[in-house]
Amino acid sequence: MATAAVVHPRALELGLAEPRLSERRIAWAFAGSGVAVFTLMGLAGLAMRLTQANVLALSPTWFYRLLTLHGAGMLTGALLAMMGALWYVLRQVVPLDLGRMLASLLLILLGAVCVIVATLVGGFGTGWTFLSPLPFHPAGQWHMWATATFLVGMLLVGAGFFVFCLDVLIKVTATYGGLRQALAIPFLRGSSDSPPPPQVLAATVVSLEGLLASALGTTVVVAMLGRTFDGAMTLDALWAKNLIYFFGHSVANLIIYLAAGVIYVLVPRYAGRPWKTTKPIVVGWLFTLLFVTFAYSHHLYMDFVQPTSLQIVSTFASFGASVPVAVVTIYTGMMLVWGSRYRWTLASSLLYLGFAGWLIGGTGAVLDSIIPFNFRFHNTLWVVAHFHTYLLLCVIFWVLAFVAHLLEQAAGRTAPRGATILALSGMVVGGYGLVGAWYLSGVLGVPRRYAVEPVGTAGYALAGSIFAMIFALGLLVLLREFVRLARAAREVGRYEAVERVDSWTGSRYRSRQRRESTGFDAPLPEVAEPAGALLTTPAQYAAMTAVAVVALFAFLPPIGRAAEQSTQYHHLLHAGQFLLGVTVGVLVASLPAVFGRLRSRHSHLGIVAVVAAPAGMMLAMTPSIYAPLDHRPALHFLYHLGIAALGVVTGLGAGTLGRVTGRFAAVLAVSMAVLYAAGVGGG
Amino acid sequence: MLRYGEPQVAVGLVFVVLALVIVALFVTVARHTVSDVPFERVQAVGYWLRKRWLAFLCALLVVVVGLSLFELPYARGSPRTVVHVTGLQFAWIITPSELPRNTPIRFDVTSRDVNHGFGIYDPHGHLIGSVQAMPGYTNRLDLTFHDPGVYHVFCLELCGIDHHLMQSSFTVR
Repeated sequence: MATAAVVHPRALELGLAEPRLSERRIAWAFAGSGVAVFTLMGLAGLAMRLTQANVLALSPTWFYRLLTLHGAGMLTGALLAMMGALWYVLRQVVPLDLGRMLASLLLILLGAVCVIVATLVGGFGTGWTFLSPLPFHPAGQWHMWATATFLVGMLLVGAGFFVFCLDVLIKVTATYGGLRQALAIPFLRGSSDSPPPPQVLAATVVSLEGLLASALGTTVVVAMLGRTFDGAMTLDALWAKNLIYFFGHSVANLIIYLAAGVIYVLVPRYAGRPWKTTKPIVVGWLFTLLFVTFAYSHHLYMDFVQPTSLQIVSTFASFGASVPVAVVTIYTGMMLVWGSRYRWTLASSLLYLGFAGWLIGGTGAVLDSIIPFNFRFHNTLWVVAHFHTYLLLCVIFWVLAFVAHLLEQAAGRTAPRGATILALSGMVVGGYGLVGAWYLSGVLGVPRRYAVEPVGTAGYALAGSIFAMIFALGLLVLLREFVRLARAAREVGRYEAVERVDSWTGSRYRSRQRRESTGFDAPLPEVAEPAGALLTTPAQYAAMTAVAVVALFAFLPPIGRAAEQSTQYHHLLHAGQFLLGVTVGVLVASLPAVFGRLRSRHSHLGIVAVVAAPAGMMLAMTPSIYAPLDHRPALHFLYHLGIAALGVVTGLGAGTLGRVTGRFAAVLAVSMAVLYAAGVGGG
Repeated sequence: MLRYGEPQVAVGLVFVVLALVIVALFVTVARHTVSDVPFERVQAVGYWLRKRWLAFLCALLVVVVGLSLFELPYARGSPRTVVHVTGLQFAWIITPSELPRNTPIRFDVTSRDVNHGFGIYDPHGHLIGSVQAMPGYTNRLDLTFHDPGVYHVFCLELCGIDHHLMQSSFTVR
């Protein structure tokens, strides 16, 4: 790898690891998919803005289809690219599983195909937020198969992210000896002086938050999928909104935190200074974990029935989330580059500009998170402005920076200065002009998501469209440089410089010869096995047995009869039966003889179990599935046993994932069952 | 025709000022990336400054969020003149549709089908606030109107194919 020519001269002294072949390939697969999705979705966005400017004449039907595709597609593309980038930098210190990453990619791409089919073929047009019950009130625009296809797509995307987060959490906790160690808490308390590198902190927080968000998202999506086939089923609108926004907001937010893990590794290569784990970074990530969990409720500020206490907590969390970003991550980044003789290349320039986009977009978002301000800005184009600022001008800049980094490393040269300035000028002027038109429109009170905007506002859309085209021109120049760098990288990859001796004259000369392709992937330093059984002490066995005994009550006839009072109670009974199964599964999986057999050979199956069994359990709770069994006692009993059996599968699966991940997965599975019971009625 | 509202302009100006400060800071840092300063020196000054930056942001958080809690739009107190608002694809039912000015009004907002957003624009075209209309729930919004005239209502939550056409109005006399 010809790195010296494209990074800071001091970077090589930092001892940064060289990526393996598999890491480069994964990075390319994810980043390539992400950039392709971004480019296509960007064109869809431009078509919508031109329609609002009265230049194009997309029908409202097609506008809302594209709106849905654009939102879901952009988030999926950015998520994919950043998952690949974080995997690339994390695997240099943590032995992540290649197969699971490929499974994650496959699931997310399948999900993306479902979303494309649902929107472009099926006409689905609810926006990416798919707020219930809009998917079931299509007003003649789409069929229920399109709703089902879109929801399956969301389920697959969520499952793909869930698998990624599971593998990350399993491996970081195994590598560093537990969750506390992976979060550097012993270092914070002064009992350890060798914390994990900062990308591990970022990955651990993202994986915890990602698992929680995916689990809640799966709960509401499965419930909505059930509602698609069972018209008598009802979903509580506030419940659905909370879960959808927890899922959507968290995943969108986590993209930028995935990116933070990447810049910890990339910026030092251009600044020639290490980005080390310090106590402020650890504290920052712990607060981020807390704030991201509670910030989502700002999407429900204008739902006045949401408990006010939750709204106030969300205000503090939304504002508070900006503090670690401004005081730790961006501030430290600026300290690293100040007076460093920063190596300005295409990649490092994009990295630097991304910091500014994060801070400016974050400022717009923080202002919007103040409730009295949100009262005047909620669902206006101000919202569109601030999230495009940090998604387009930070996340996408960092995705492109990552691709440029890979290309410049592989080619052994940087992009020409003139082309770099031209491309970045176009993207900065175009990007900030595009979002500027939205900010102004937001101040004017123009509603978001309008196929036809209010009279007199088309000028803002036209200005935004022109700036979007300037951005696109800059991007085209950038992509042209990517192609040139890729060609150069291909040459470097195929040939190597050698020194030869002329047999006639005896003089030495430099020539090139074709490299021998080995296809060799350097072995991982050590393969960490999921550490520890879920239960280890007699007290833990006793506590779990006690929970199982309590859950056994869910099979008692009087409890069953009492649960017939309402659908919610009936579903709570199912949740109790599922809990019984999970506890039995966990107890069995923790037995030393069983654990020894399970952990090394069946952890892949364990992941499948904790992903599929809870979803299957909730799908089986669709009233039209179990209602016909009411008058057939034997079958009814078998159905309840089946729910418990799915719990056993979940518990056994969790038992293969290691103490931290397994316990968390088991708790999430039971929580999904209880949450489902809280929000689903009718039938 | 929409017009810039004063509170929105104030927030917009704050944002522009902060964005310009951020741009100035980034330009300044970029100009200093070409020099060669020992990292120990950067850390010494940077850490000193960071403590103050953290204290400033925490104080700002407490003050701004604290002050905002006195201006929450959520309805409190006893019922006033009540207006029943129901959203449905793609219309608003507002009863009564004529309201007195300088009188506290309570809007009871709900939906018959999907989520909608009840966005109120005053006779001059300023967006004065919004509340969601959600099926199965009633959101209560308190407002007092001082300007007579026709107030327009736009839907502010995507609700289907004719979302952008879901408009209505009420009159304040």
